[in-house]
Amino acid sequence: MEVQAAQGPEVAIRLILVLVALSGLAYLGGLPAVQRLERRLRIAQLVTAGFPFLAIGIVLGLPSVGILTESVLSTLSPLLGFGLGWIGFSAGFRLDVRELDDLPKGTARAVGFATALPFAFVVASVGLFLLVASDWSRLDLSNPAFLRGALVLGTAGAMTAPQAARLLGESGREQRMLLRLEELAGMVGMAFIAAYFRPRGDGIGWHLPDTAWLFLTVGLGGVLGVVAYVVLQRASAPAESVLLLLGTVAFGAGFGSRLYLAPMVVCFVAGVFLSNVPGEHRARLREALGRLERPIYLLFLVAVGAMWKFADWRGWALLPFFVTARLGGKWLAEKLIRRTTELAADADHWMARRAPIGQLSIAIVVSAQLLFPEGEIPILETAVIGGAVVTELFAQVFARNRAKTRPTLALGVEP
Amino acid sequence: MNFLIVLALVGLMHAARTFDSGGSHATTLAFGFVLLAAFFTGRIFANLRLPKLTGYIATGILVGPAVLGLLSPEMVHDLEIVDGVAIAMIALTAGNELDLRAFRPLLRSIQWITLWAVVGTALLLGVAVFAMQGLLPFLSELSLVPALAVAVVMGVVMSAQSPAVVVALRDEVEADGPMSRTVLGVVVIADLVVILLFAATSSLAQSVVGSPGELSDTLSLLTWEILGSLTSGVLVGSIIAAYLRFVGRNAALFVVAVCFVVAEVGSRIHFDPLLVALAAGVLIRNTTRQGDLLHSQIEMASLPVYVVFFAVAGAHIDLRLLASVALPATAIVVVRGIGLVFGSRIGAHFARSPETVRRWAGFGLLPQAGLALALAALFVKTFPGFGAEARALVLGVVALNELIAPAIYRWALVRSGEAGQREVAETADRPAEQPAA
Repeated sequence: MEVQAAQGPEVAIRLILVLVALSGLAYLGGLPAVQRLERRLRIAQLVTAGFPFLAIGIVLGLPSVGILTESVLSTLSPLLGFGLGWIGFSAGFRLDVRELDDLPKGTARAVGFATALPFAFVVASVGLFLLVASDWSRLDLSNPAFLRGALVLGTAGAMTAPQAARLLGESGREQRMLLRLEELAGMVGMAFIAAYFRPRGDGIGWHLPDTAWLFLTVGLGGVLGVVAYVVLQRASAPAESVLLLLGTVAFGAGFGSRLYLAPMVVCFVAGVFLSNVPGEHRARLREALGRLERPIYLLFLVAVGAMWKFADWRGWALLPFFVTARLGGKWLAEKLIRRTTELAADADHWMARRAPIGQLSIAIVVSAQLLFPEGEIPILETAVIGGAVVTELFAQVFARNRAKTRPTLALGVEP
Repeated sequence: MNFLIVLALVGLMHAARTFDSGGSHATTLAFGFVLLAAFFTGRIFANLRLPKLTGYIATGILVGPAVLGLLSPEMVHDLEIVDGVAIAMIALTAGNELDLRAFRPLLRSIQWITLWAVVGTALLLGVAVFAMQGLLPFLSELSLVPALAVAVVMGVVMSAQSPAVVVALRDEVEADGPMSRTVLGVVVIADLVVILLFAATSSLAQSVVGSPGELSDTLSLLTWEILGSLTSGVLVGSIIAAYLRFVGRNAALFVVAVCFVVAEVGSRIHFDPLLVALAAGVLIRNTTRQGDLLHSQIEMASLPVYVVFFAVAGAHIDLRLLASVALPATAIVVVRGIGLVFGSRIGAHFARSPETVRRWAGFGLLPQAGLALALAALFVKTFPGFGAEARALVLGVVALNELIAPAIYRWALVRSGEAGQREVAETADRPAEQPAA
């Protein structure tokens, strides 16, 4: 009886209209003419990356629309933790360490440049921004929130979207591996942040040294990997594989979150373990992941969009700092990689390959927001989500000439 | 090995629970734990020739607040988000199974069994509750006519069936045949009949008892619930069918999202998610060509949803409460069982149903779950003076039926020879369909 019947038809009609609108949008999105238009406007990759779902989340979360209200969002909030675990697990499962065996000399240096330089640039500039913007009277140097925020953004900025490798064609295997290793570096960064900036208080159990939490993160991921391995060996049908995969990721993400560890890192470790132990489970897991990965990611984006506090101007003010510092770091890294290694043979338009910010970067900021709900994390979210859109547009614009000069490598959209 | 996995999961969950924190991640943890633990317990039960579904429920009881306490009451409450989606998905499946052309030969059986078994058992239960006045303090305080009226309402509430359990068991043993189809038809129709009977009898009882609850409120609420649910079901069904027909991409995601919307918003505006989804499923199966596509889209997502739904149902079972109402609840379960089994035999006899229907259909009407609980909640609102005590009795009856009835229906499906017949039926259908194609 909480909702009066008089409000009922209004809400029901509004929802049905939303469902009709979503169906209509999905129908339009599938039309060849619309897809051609997307390619002409150079927004096809943005659409493929799922940003329309982020927009849907924003619209549904508006108070004037009133669909994803506070209570519904609170009901949906577990989806965020699960989505983070899922993204981490998928990224971990893609990392096949056997591929590292035949990488050329200088790969480690290249990964070091590609991640450390943008990280350092972003931490310096964003740290300064946050320090200036923070309330100096409440500045606590024993737990510097501005530094934590800068490190989070630095970690998110260190990685590049794996989709950026779409421009490299067949020659891009090594570059793709580099991007995977960038993801690994990002996960390590997130594990450090979660371990060394832990929330403290009476309600927090297990009083351990910070470094112990780092080991616990890896250990928990490993244990979950073993459990998942045993569990997934027992799936006898595709539906059971799906169930066990969902259960494993949810259990891992929930366990990690409960201990205030980064759920995506815990699940990443489990994913890496499962990807690299022999067994029939890998084919089944790959199939189940292929079936579920995108729908779950899109739902995650809807939830992120609905919870995104985009009205805070500080986030938009931070955006140019973040994007400029990151691109500066990536540009310098590209120069150094080209000069000191043999990896950057494909030197054209580094911007298109290095600029895009991927889903893992967005996930890192969302993970930080769940770990540290108080403070300035929401403005970091604006910087990363906005940055993802801006850098993708940059990549599209800078790749235009390449597409003209080498039409066989035209700007593709990842299938 | 299944047992060792469950033990390992319990150990890990216990370790996680020693760390004091709450919040939304507790739901994610509980979801993952329940999914894995219930799945493997279901396998243990299957090895013992018991329904997996009973294993899921047993897991809920064991790990829930009543026994091991690995799931806190807050976690169980948070997991109820799955309940709504599960009910909507199960109802969509049940509705989509109701091919009215295929059911036409069974319609006579469904009508007669519904009349004798469902309506008859409701009356029988009313009489039984009235006869047990001495064991039920809230009823013994009322005078003769009001006590009889309230007993009839309780009889209606406790006669409710469970399409969710019927569909889940049918899928689990891959049953097909006249008996399982008739049972599905009866439980779906009975859902509607029981809601209507509740509307009529509770209104009557309210006027007799002179309860402070508003009679017109109850009536308008039920009218709104039934008509509103059916109307929105038609709309929702049209939207899903249009999506499947014209878009097709990410259809499983869309169907799950629709089920979530139906469950979340439906309950907020007093629509019955079960009726909404049921109407949508019937519409899609009988007026469009998207029924098979919908079935395949739901199939993959349904297993995790079933597992969590039934485990959460088990976690809700309060063993202390069950002990306190054990005697009257057991008596009612026995009376209900007799009423449904013999009522369906009489109904099947009048309808000249096949022998399998006559012998076994009554056992499919025994499972009970969500609707009885929902009506019990409405009963509390309608009779605030003594509703809570009556609800405890209903909870006890539902708990016993949840534990016993699935095993009985599974046994009936196996004995009737319909278990494992779905694949045979599909194979037999295929050559007949090819020339038409």
